[in-house]
Amino acid sequence: MAYALAARIGQMALVMFGISIVVFLIFFATPGSDPSARIAGRNASQETLQQVRHDFGLDRPLPVQYGLMMKKLFVTRDLTSFVNRGQQVIPTVTRAIPITLSLVLGAAVLWLAGGLLVGLLAGATRGSWVDRGLMMISLAGVSMPVFWLAEVANLVSQSRFHDTWAFSWVPALGYVPLAEDPLGWFKALVIPWTVLATLYVGLYGRVLRASLIETMQEDFIRTARAKGIGERNVLLRHGLRTSLVAFVTMFGLDFGALVGGGALLTEVVFGLQGVGKLTYDAMQTLDLPMIMATVIYASFFVVMANFIVDVVHMFLDPRVRDAF
Amino acid sequence: MTYRSSLAALMSGIALAAVTAATPAAAQGSPGGTLRLLAKAAAGTIDPHINYTLQYFQINYMLYDGLVTFRKAGDETGFDVVADLAEALPEPENDGRTYTFKLRDGIKFSDGSDLTAADVLASFQRIFKVSGPTAGTFYNGIVGADACIAAPADCTLDGGVVIDEAAGTVTINLTAPDGEFLQKIAIPHAAILPAETPIKDMGTDPVPGSGPYMIESYNPNERLKMVRNPHFEEWSAEAQPAGFPDEIDYDFGLTEEAAVTAIQNGQADWMFDPPPPDRLAEIGTKYADQAFVHPLTAMWYAPMNTNLAPFDDVRVRQAVNYAIDRSAIVKLFGGSSLAQPACQILPPGFPSYEPYCPYTVGEGGSWSAPDMAKARALVEESGTAGQEVTIIAEDNTVSRAIGVYLQDVLTELGYKAKVQAISQNIQFTYIQNTNNNVQISISQWFQDYPSPSNFLQVLFGCASFTPGSDASVNISGFCDEAIDAKMAEAVSLTLSDPEASAALWTEVDRDVTDAAPAAVLFTPKRVDFVSSRVKNFMFSPQFYWIINQSWVE
Repeated sequence: MAYALAARIGQMALVMFGISIVVFLIFFATPGSDPSARIAGRNASQETLQQVRHDFGLDRPLPVQYGLMMKKLFVTRDLTSFVNRGQQVIPTVTRAIPITLSLVLGAAVLWLAGGLLVGLLAGATRGSWVDRGLMMISLAGVSMPVFWLAEVANLVSQSRFHDTWAFSWVPALGYVPLAEDPLGWFKALVIPWTVLATLYVGLYGRVLRASLIETMQEDFIRTARAKGIGERNVLLRHGLRTSLVAFVTMFGLDFGALVGGGALLTEVVFGLQGVGKLTYDAMQTLDLPMIMATVIYASFFVVMANFIVDVVHMFLDPRVRDAF
Repeated sequence: MTYRSSLAALMSGIALAAVTAATPAAAQGSPGGTLRLLAKAAAGTIDPHINYTLQYFQINYMLYDGLVTFRKAGDETGFDVVADLAEALPEPENDGRTYTFKLRDGIKFSDGSDLTAADVLASFQRIFKVSGPTAGTFYNGIVGADACIAAPADCTLDGGVVIDEAAGTVTINLTAPDGEFLQKIAIPHAAILPAETPIKDMGTDPVPGSGPYMIESYNPNERLKMVRNPHFEEWSAEAQPAGFPDEIDYDFGLTEEAAVTAIQNGQADWMFDPPPPDRLAEIGTKYADQAFVHPLTAMWYAPMNTNLAPFDDVRVRQAVNYAIDRSAIVKLFGGSSLAQPACQILPPGFPSYEPYCPYTVGEGGSWSAPDMAKARALVEESGTAGQEVTIIAEDNTVSRAIGVYLQDVLTELGYKAKVQAISQNIQFTYIQNTNNNVQISISQWFQDYPSPSNFLQVLFGCASFTPGSDASVNISGFCDEAIDAKMAEAVSLTLSDPEASAALWTEVDRDVTDAAPAAVLFTPKRVDFVSSRVKNFMFSPQFYWIINQSWVE
């Protein structure tokens, strides 16, 4: 186990190194990406431009620049943005993490509960109108782009029906810290949670239904029924438990990606200044230090999520251990 | 998208707003309350010597003071320079090479320290020491500036800025007369800061200032918070009036759509970014008395590279000017309530502006319709038809639409045209660099201070063209020695014979328009949408809404 962990950490370092090189090279291969002139300001004189280029180390060879940037990111931890000068990227990202975590955790609770419910109901009532109805709704949920659904939610709750009894409780867009005002936090996030969870409820429900139906045709289910266990127990104790493997795997990977900033469209539309929004803004303004920090942060979570999923698998299925 | 209906709605709304605006304010407002401003994103460093954005200039005029400033007035007198930290506007001495300022007594910075002549000297040195964006373009005429630009760290400005601590005077010597010098030191880049301000870009750390407000905290991902400066006492209502709100919060991160909704709901009071076109209809009708529209001294234009085929031929550049239907482009921008067609370099309402438009059907000073026949004849004469042309637009709705329109025009003239949209954050520096071989692009220019040179000389003077550099704001690469000499003459006459100078600038405007290094498209207007709580909306032509002169109810 310790060896597996060490191997994983080694792999993670490699992945991060590779990703950071790729991001760095893509940035400098983009025509017009040199930030010196944008930092110097419009109509700057050539001398000012040269000074800015020199101050930011942009006149040095690329490998040196890469080394300096990594040193500032990991060793001295004082890397600052190219766009909002003086803004240190590490504290900015760490301050954004609670917002992203609040959004993703809340949505995860909703989509796990929703996905389980939809999958179980549809699997248990296979072929009935309940099953068909649920599957149609799931398909709609999967098909709606999250930013569109979010804008519609805003249109209804913030604009068109904001003054009606149904939505007068909806606070202004933005994040309210949990420690400051728990109720405000909940109110500010309940609509974003629902919107973000919609896609995943549909997706997870469909996956769970499929694997349930497959499992319920296995021999051990027949054995369980032959032993006289009630149908509900067969479904929940035996069928569901085995079907959850795919469900857990998906959850681990999706959750890791979202905590890493994958919920950026939801964050942008709802004005939540989380890691996803930081990434989005940095991409818009070609702010390399910020892109670097968010990408490294995201890759950490994705690799971590993979690792945790593998460990869970190992406990669920002994055959996986040899592959470790 | 139906611009027509939204336009009609906006027009009627603005007519209504004009009627209500004509009635005098019922009562003077009372101080207090909090203003909440919104912007899609922060605008970079809050170091006033470095930040060069409209977004923060607007607040820096309330946070900091120069020796002089622009009058904080809601009409065209807002373009006038008035004394600020100085007791009076100085008379130029020594043939316009020397200005002497007498500092007011008793002014304090927001950290409680006194503002003295030493702070003025240190601030002028700091402009160069921190490589301010305009150090080499606005302040290079000060004696000793050359040495400061070459070696910023050792900047002294010896003989350039001379102070007398006891008498509280500051004397500035220039290497040559400069009729625009007072305007150049009226912008926030010449703000006076405490002498001990660190010699580095302060980034997100607030710098003490002398204005009625000070920055309490700044996080570019969340909020810029401004509160009253406890050490401020009003010394001149026209230069730096006391403000009404107790606190001004500038919040970042909401999309334009969400910002409009927030203002409608009274959750916020104003947005910096232009409202999205699909919301203009409701703003112009339901919220007409909360919307204000003002023409800007700015232009949208299409610079053409005078050193690359086919635009190295003046006939082709003129043909493009003749062929463009500017009213169609105005529609793409949002209709005639948001822009007006233009075809000369200087914007209306600007010094030396005389209506002039050679590129229209029929005679007259203003543009009425395109002249396709003339355009085709010119292209035929040049023999360039069939060449490939790439238009570089910005990656946003309006700029891309204008790019596609220009593609149609060039195709109709016989070229093989295509459009490339580049992220709007890169496009402006990309089109400046000759290494990128940009033939024609779409760009905008907003004035820094109200002087014809700020358009003509900056954008079309030989000195603004540096091949191979990202900072070469003469995007057309236009360099005409006769016109350049005329501009130099106009500059030199500013002080000795202002009338002759103004007439020369009018002539230069015509010469440059005739040489067609660019196709000017339209003069944009600004829409300000405020919440119903905001009263006494004053709009400065120099830096837009004078935020602290509004009060909340």
